Amino acid sequence: MNGRTTNISEALMGAQGYINSLPAGDGLWLAEQRRAAIDRLFDLGLPQSRQEAWRYSDVQGLLEQGFVTSDEAGEVAGDEVRAHLLKEPVAARLVFVDGLFQAALSEINAQGVSISSLRGAMAKADKTALEALGSLSGAGRHGFAALNLATMQDGAVIRVEAGNKLGQPIELLHLASRNAAGRSLRPRHLIILETDAEASLVERYLALDETSYFNNLVCEIVLQEGASLLHQRVQQESRQAYHLSDLYLGLAADSHYRGVNASLGGIWSRTNINNHFKASGAVCELDGLYLVDDEQLADYHLDIDHAVPGCESRENFKGILSGRGRAVFDGRILVRQQAQKSNAHLSNANLMLSRQAEIDTKPQLEILADDVQCSHGTTVGQLDPQALFYLRSRGLNEDQARRLLCMGFAQEILDRFETESLRETLSESIHARIEASNSNMI
Amino acid sequence: MLSIKNLKANVEGKEILKGIDLEVKAGEVHAIMGPNGSGKSTLAHILSGRDGYEITDGSIQLQGEDLLELATEERAHKGVFLAMQYPVELPGVNNMTFLRESLNAVRKARGQEELDAVSFMKLVREKARQVQLDEKLLKRSVNAGFSGGEKKRNEILQMAVLEPTLAILDETDSGLDIDALRTVADGVNMLRSPDRAMLVVTHYQRLLDYIQPDHVHVLAGGRIIRSGGKELALELEERGYGWLLEEVAA
Repeated sequence: MNGRTTNISEALMGAQGYINSLPAGDGLWLAEQRRAAIDRLFDLGLPQSRQEAWRYSDVQGLLEQGFVTSDEAGEVAGDEVRAHLLKEPVAARLVFVDGLFQAALSEINAQGVSISSLRGAMAKADKTALEALGSLSGAGRHGFAALNLATMQDGAVIRVEAGNKLGQPIELLHLASRNAAGRSLRPRHLIILETDAEASLVERYLALDETSYFNNLVCEIVLQEGASLLHQRVQQESRQAYHLSDLYLGLAADSHYRGVNASLGGIWSRTNINNHFKASGAVCELDGLYLVDDEQLADYHLDIDHAVPGCESRENFKGILSGRGRAVFDGRILVRQQAQKSNAHLSNANLMLSRQAEIDTKPQLEILADDVQCSHGTTVGQLDPQALFYLRSRGLNEDQARRLLCMGFAQEILDRFETESLRETLSESIHARIEASNSNMI
Repeated sequence: MLSIKNLKANVEGKEILKGIDLEVKAGEVHAIMGPNGSGKSTLAHILSGRDGYEITDGSIQLQGEDLLELATEERAHKGVFLAMQYPVELPGVNNMTFLRESLNAVRKARGQEELDAVSFMKLVREKARQVQLDEKLLKRSVNAGFSGGEKKRNEILQMAVLEPTLAILDETDSGLDIDALRTVADGVNMLRSPDRAMLVVTHYQRLLDYIQPDHVHVLAGGRIIRSGGKELALELEERGYGWLLEEVAA
């Protein structure tokens, strides 16, 4: 596909062209899925700001960029990659450059885990590995997700075998090279934890250069009965980049998903998290932290569906907004009529460091069952002048005091990143960001 | 060491301090007593540089330096320390990090070398032991979920670490039971030193049983209406403030 995605017909033509260009090895069923996605894209069109779900994250600027797709990854030196890797030993590692899997930089042999790249699995038409592909996302909830399915290229396909409890994390590292400039990337991941499996997944999107590109990614995660996943996700794209991430979760009985998110980069970034409880006793925990400064938008849309009784969800998102930064938080929890004994708690707190920053926050609890425990809370506030005075009276200047308080605000979420080197580098990045926004302040 | 002359201050246009004169020498402990609303806490806050007060007249000098010209943190660098009546809770801010950054900010401003992590740890452990603060509290967020006594002891720990020239204790006894009060007072007494002046602001005489002042001043209606030795505090304990206010009015 070499079409510009400035409008729907170009996107459709491009996607069609891409499918036609695929080798015959791309299994028939996959080609059908791709076509279904094109139909879906045709039905839905690309999101528009008059749609409620996209009202605050306008895609016009993104479409105007005219990003094109490419099947080439930029050349990246091994040392440049290694500088960004986790410092602790990992169970497996998948490195992607410009959305494409880099076998030479990766390590995919792990005991009791089947791992392949999406491209590899598609080339082999590996139906077993890809059976669940699209099972949670369907053809896509919006045009971009459909576009991802229609033109998916590469990603991670991971299956942790039943009962396997991984002591070390699986690392997915995405690097955007200089070569990503002007490109539309569309990674797609499929992660399955079989019955009673346990794993930790670190998924990061970093940029090696300050270029403008569009990362349009989809991740599907299936947790079978009793499985447990800690999913640590960091979006630190280039400040010029567009980042759209769709995460679909399917949680079977007694499974436990813990998602910890951080968004720091991008000129425009949006994360949609959709969780569907499939059976009782499952727990879904989501924590998130977003930082925005001038010319940045960060958007989190959560959609938690308590479709069955006796599940628990907890969401805690925090934002630090400075300059003319904008953020959107839309947390929807639906507790269906039959979903008795549900437990759902949603919280969103925003720290506004400037008067020009803007937050649109919307917690939505729709409770149709009567025997449930649910709560939600949203706060938007500034740094506490009493706390600032307290710190200054102990000798810290205003910048130092603000930084300590901002870090304190972020700490609750940072602490949930359990992989130490990740938590430390993230903490340093946040520290640097706050220092920068301090100096940006008059 | 501390010299306050004819200090007048307004809060939201209302005159709260109406001409305070006070001289405190190095090594001395002065108690500022007085009924509620007399301006005691205002005086403590103004000394530490809190916002929201308009100084309309007078001067404050610490070791010959004009405090009113300095920002809050600069006063801290010069050795002003205010132990707060209600220490602020700082969730997510580690107590140890806070203490270390404070100490190093002060040391840096004084042209001293910053302390490395190891030396700092050693220092803070020793000070925590001195003021009987449970070491576990050092690893927690500043004051978050601390009991009233723990918060006040944490203030005294900060004071012990920062080693101020002028220590101001604002209603340090409020909200403490007698045992906690004794521990806090022990900490304060340990920090008495010939190079340090202390101002103890309190409504009740009770605290002064444990921290014996050299001088006692009674503040009422924004003025110091009586100064004396520690026996003045005892008299106030026995007779309340009413007689004194009447005597001054007469």
